[in-house]
Amino acid sequence: MLAWLFRGLRHGVVTTRYPRRPEAPPPGFRGRVVASAAGGPELEELCPTGAIRVADDGRVVIDRGKCILCGACAEAKPEVFVLVSDYETASRRRAGLVAAADGRATVGELRASLGEQSGTLRRSTHIRHVDTGSDGAEEWEIQALTNPYYDMQRLGFFFTLSPRHADVLLVTGGVTPSMREPLLRAFEAMPEPRAVVAVGTDACSGGFSAAAGEVAGGVDEVLPVDVYVPGSPPAPIAILHGLLLATGVLTREAAA
Amino acid sequence: MSADRLQGSGERSRQQLLDRFVEREDAQAPERRLVVSADELADATRVLLETGGHFVGTFVMCEPELELRVLVALRGELLVLEALLGEERTYPAISAVTPGAFLPERELHDLSGIVPLGHPELEPALRPDADRLTRRVVGDQTFVIPYGPVRSGVFEAIQFPIDTGGEDVLSLSVRPYFKRRGLEQRFAGLSVDHGAYLAERIAGISTVAHGLAYSQAVERLSGVEAPPLAQRWRVIHAELERVANHLDVGIKLAEDAALSVGVARFGSLKEQVMRLRARLCGSRFGRGVVAPGGVRSQPLVSAGEVLRFIDDFEKDLRRDRGLLLGTTSFIDRLVGSGRLDAETIVSLGGVGPIARACSLGIDARLERPYGAYPHLGFTIARATTGDAMARFDVRLQEIDQSIHLMRQALERLDRLPSDLHVPLAATADGEACGWTEAPSGELVYCLRVEGQTVREAHIATPSLRNWPLLSASYRGDVLTDVSFIEHSFGLTPAEADR
Amino acid sequence: MSIVLAIGYVGLAASVLAAALSPRLAAAGVAAASGLIGAVGISSAAAYGTASVSIGSWLGFGQASFVSDRLAGIFLAATGVVGAAVSVALVERGSSKLVAALHALILLAICAVIGTDQAFVFLLAWETITLSIYLLGAADRDRPGALVAGYFASGMSKLGGAALLAAFGLLYAKTGSFELNAWAHHAAQLGSARDAAFILFVIAFGTKLGLIPFQGPLPGLYAAAPGLSAATVSIAFNAAFYGLWRLVFSTLAPAPLWWGELLVSIGALTALIGILYAVTQDEMKRFLGFSSVEHGGIATLGLGVALVGQAAHLPELAAAGLLAATLHVLMHCVAKALAFVAADRVSAATDTEDIRPLGGLGSALPLTAAGFGVAVLTLAAMPFFGGFVSEWLTFMAMLQAFRVNDTIAELVLALGGAFLALTAGIALLAFAKLFGGIFLGRARETIRVVRERRLAFGLGALTTLAFAVGPIAPWEIRWLGHGLEGVLGFNLGPHAVTFPLVLGPVYQGFSVLSPTWDAAGITTFALTAALLVRVLLRPRVRRAPVWVSGSAAPIADVQYTPDAYANPIRVVLAGLYGFDRTIERRRDEQGKEMAIVRTRVVPAFEDYLYRPVSNGAVLIATQARRLQSGRLGNYILYVLAVVLAVLALIPALNR
Repeated sequence: MLAWLFRGLRHGVVTTRYPRRPEAPPPGFRGRVVASAAGGPELEELCPTGAIRVADDGRVVIDRGKCILCGACAEAKPEVFVLVSDYETASRRRAGLVAAADGRATVGELRASLGEQSGTLRRSTHIRHVDTGSDGAEEWEIQALTNPYYDMQRLGFFFTLSPRHADVLLVTGGVTPSMREPLLRAFEAMPEPRAVVAVGTDACSGGFSAAAGEVAGGVDEVLPVDVYVPGSPPAPIAILHGLLLATGVLTREAAA
Repeated sequence: MSADRLQGSGERSRQQLLDRFVEREDAQAPERRLVVSADELADATRVLLETGGHFVGTFVMCEPELELRVLVALRGELLVLEALLGEERTYPAISAVTPGAFLPERELHDLSGIVPLGHPELEPALRPDADRLTRRVVGDQTFVIPYGPVRSGVFEAIQFPIDTGGEDVLSLSVRPYFKRRGLEQRFAGLSVDHGAYLAERIAGISTVAHGLAYSQAVERLSGVEAPPLAQRWRVIHAELERVANHLDVGIKLAEDAALSVGVARFGSLKEQVMRLRARLCGSRFGRGVVAPGGVRSQPLVSAGEVLRFIDDFEKDLRRDRGLLLGTTSFIDRLVGSGRLDAETIVSLGGVGPIARACSLGIDARLERPYGAYPHLGFTIARATTGDAMARFDVRLQEIDQSIHLMRQALERLDRLPSDLHVPLAATADGEACGWTEAPSGELVYCLRVEGQTVREAHIATPSLRNWPLLSASYRGDVLTDVSFIEHSFGLTPAEADR
Repeated sequence: MSIVLAIGYVGLAASVLAAALSPRLAAAGVAAASGLIGAVGISSAAAYGTASVSIGSWLGFGQASFVSDRLAGIFLAATGVVGAAVSVALVERGSSKLVAALHALILLAICAVIGTDQAFVFLLAWETITLSIYLLGAADRDRPGALVAGYFASGMSKLGGAALLAAFGLLYAKTGSFELNAWAHHAAQLGSARDAAFILFVIAFGTKLGLIPFQGPLPGLYAAAPGLSAATVSIAFNAAFYGLWRLVFSTLAPAPLWWGELLVSIGALTALIGILYAVTQDEMKRFLGFSSVEHGGIATLGLGVALVGQAAHLPELAAAGLLAATLHVLMHCVAKALAFVAADRVSAATDTEDIRPLGGLGSALPLTAAGFGVAVLTLAAMPFFGGFVSEWLTFMAMLQAFRVNDTIAELVLALGGAFLALTAGIALLAFAKLFGGIFLGRARETIRVVRERRLAFGLGALTTLAFAVGPIAPWEIRWLGHGLEGVLGFNLGPHAVTFPLVLGPVYQGFSVLSPTWDAAGITTFALTAALLVRVLLRPRVRRAPVWVSGSAAPIADVQYTPDAYANPIRVVLAGLYGFDRTIERRRDEQGKEMAIVRTRVVPAFEDYLYRPVSNGAVLIATQARRLQSGRLGNYILYVLAVVLAVLALIPALNR
């Protein structure tokens, strides 16, 4: 057992300082798609999940809740679409994922929510994860939050197995018919205050599965969602960003 | 792809079957099709299995007419039996010949209404109800623990009704399809290019394997081959994915055994691999790399950097692996748990590390080599005892083999011609199969394409083929072994449910 | 006091006859009479004077009387008080005339055994207990297994009765008197007969208590006894314990060391085996029967320690052991009677004795659940309840082993302590299974519950008694100090109860316990916490269904069964239990593969001890029957043989 101890100490500290210090994604990382020019209706065909909408005035609007970051649009029309590397893509409102320009939860909002979190007694947020139809990648990224690189426990986040002890419900995947009841039961079993975080594009809008007809749409078809974290899958830092937004929700609710 | 037709019936056709497809010396294409009648389908399958084949999958092609397909892998060839269904829409069930067809036939019955006659349990499978459990064991002192669909940890949704007497596991059933997203049906109408994006998202953790199988099916239809440089990079991404998957199994097993530092160490190793993949292509899972015709773009990191990473990674892994295998409290939980034997695996059609842990040398990279694998050398990882320890051991060996493969693939990349992509044929209509060795076993895609649009896609996934093995592997184990055995399998419900 | 005692006895006798008129009236009479006897017992034990009722010499074996001296007072108090409460419950419940009559008869016989000072009356009353127990066990003839249980119990008791008769005969032969006091005075004369008498007494009282290897019939007997009579039968333990206390500890004193060692070993083994089998039981009364075996073992264990102390000339050790054992007898008497009364209410409400189909009855049967809960907590020795106090004292007495200068005795005591610890652990599991399986969890859809009986005075009295018996331990011990002074030679009260309301195992400064302060503290904290939460936090309560992995499968399929609770221990100790499981695989109506599991615990004692012995006895009897050939010629031959033998013997004897 002692050998394990020394082995762990030998590698030093690799943990990210996020959110105190910003964490930059590696160059070329697919974080968001940004439309930098206007175009015609033919641009909508480029997207396999229908995330691109061209308004009448030629403005290109990208719904990040449906974007699976495949890069098809950027490959076909690099002059219009650009893949930008970014981690902080979560939003508290579904509408916040749809923006013509660079819409995202402001850093100021995040700082404010962090300030609230440290001010209250709530130093520990317990998270219950429910998978309702993801492709498996989101689970890897959520599990990665406990590895030494991210270590979400230093921010007071813990996974719990019983929804009775949970503050945050982390849902991945669009809700399949068989998982609808279990998801509702998990939500009902949570005491208030509680928050629901939809992780992944499938959870935000249903992704490919919504068009297939099995899944009605995102998690918000079944539960009230407090934070949307788009991405296919979202990187661990992006999920952490979403969790921090959710904690802001929690502290605000508890004070009410 | 043209198919041979079987003449006559009964003994003559059986002989013809054997003549044409079993005793043939010259193997032309690794994929071969044979048309039989619906009534003879089960018999033909039996003949092929008896001569050493293993069952891959069965499904229904809906257009232009309802046709059945049975896939059998036999000695380096993928045999596709095609059968036209008559008016009655019934046929003798393949499940009577091999239990591996049990779940696929329930699925095709639900989707198309065709009745496989003689199927032992033809119940609706595709929209399981979490509240209706079937108890497999009744009597004194038994009850059933519905483990799932929401399970104890950050895991995917699947239900395991465990019949137990309290501590001992009397029977463990597997109920997949809770996460059925209907993605196979979604392929219909997508362009060949967009289909690749969908294929990558069938099973998120085997993105590259799925993308590769899909692309190879398309390339086979087009009659093209990806350029050598693209094939090399495909191998590198596929093997990085394999390493990440096997490390994930290590993390889960260490977590079950409550070895926190082990979890942290393997978690770090996996994170390093994922970050390398993100640096290589912008996605931690290798999405958007593989496309029909080659790879989409240049890697963002040089070959030399990847080699340096592999060297450091190998040193770290060796030390951590040594520590883990030296922790007796960990090894004790794995040795003897969930033992499988080779006959069960063969009869249920198991593949992947699970099969290799019972000394079955089944690996698609060696049986029907694809991509750059014919030019690269590696050995099949094997173990003999068939328990959880053997499965973990096989995975550790495969990580070593993957590192070896990657080193070979990165050798002298600058000497290869620099094109990464070949154009596909304008009209490439028809039906073709593509296969890869995904981290959990052999994966086969069957596509029907018409004019650059995918019409139908069917996937024989290793996870679905291996799930029945989980029920068979519980012999005398107790409740606390359940998570060890399940994690040692390393399967993913998203891939099985599609 | 004597008059009250006389009224009590007469009242009990009258109730036996009154049962022919009205069972409820008889039970009420028993309640009153037992209450009186109990009161007399309490006062005599507290040294307020001895009560005695003379019944003359009309039985033909010399003067006899019923005396409630200090030792007898303790046991009469227990019998009287608990008997009264059980009788009240019987009044509320109603019963058949036979059961009411037998209830009164058993209590009369028990009080007679405890109160008498003459061996013959003792024996007569003892056999009356045996007879009544047999009649009770076999009363409900239609119940499967009742007749066999009755026969088995009476057969075993006959063995005990024979041993008792032999012992009394031996003592009479040595001392020439049937008076128990006379035997005590002439103990020195007994010589080697003392050891024989000891063994015979252990057999006699062991068969009634269920000490190894005589525990076989007891659980079946409790299971077969109809209605509340199981509670009555459990009170009979007091008679057996009194016999051991009076005849072994007091009359045959001073004991050699091996007596104590033997009793410690038997007690420890009995306790462990009792609880090991209890854990596997699914019927309430059978479970409680095995638990009685266990607790009988624990009390015997304490008595063994007392005998060791007596033999080693350590009066404080003897006091520690005897205090622990006596307190245990009292606690067990109350708690077991309460458990049986509550179990009877459960089976009346649900029409089953088996706990497997039960569950979630806590809200449907709140009073019963409360009573059962207190009984379970006492029997499982949870802190501040009475059972914990007595078991703690037993442990402490055994920990004094180092004071004895004999290696074997120390070893035996240490091992006994280990066995007791294991027993206590398994007992927690077993009682959690019993209580949880009946009252906790969710109600299964298959069981239909009748509303519980409103009248619960008997239950309430027993519950209050069981609940209080822990916190008021300091006063009880002082009272016991007076009561045991006669046999110990000094009053252990001031030694055991030091600092206000703090207990110790007679040896000062060794270890302390205070159930009174515990109880006060726990209840205060609990109430304060509840109050704070209610007043300050004002939580909103929302009820949600139980979480079962997101599934809402039927409870009957999914809920943990009581035997699943004990499954790990059965699997781990499979070698000991002879865990026998058969799995039959077949296909059900829809052609799905099913497996049917049947399990059983191999009843080791039945298979390897009782059955061979009874088979042997039957074999001998069958052979002996040959003598009864029915032929006149053979009988004449026997007569001739006997005459010749006598003719040959007389000269030999006269020489």
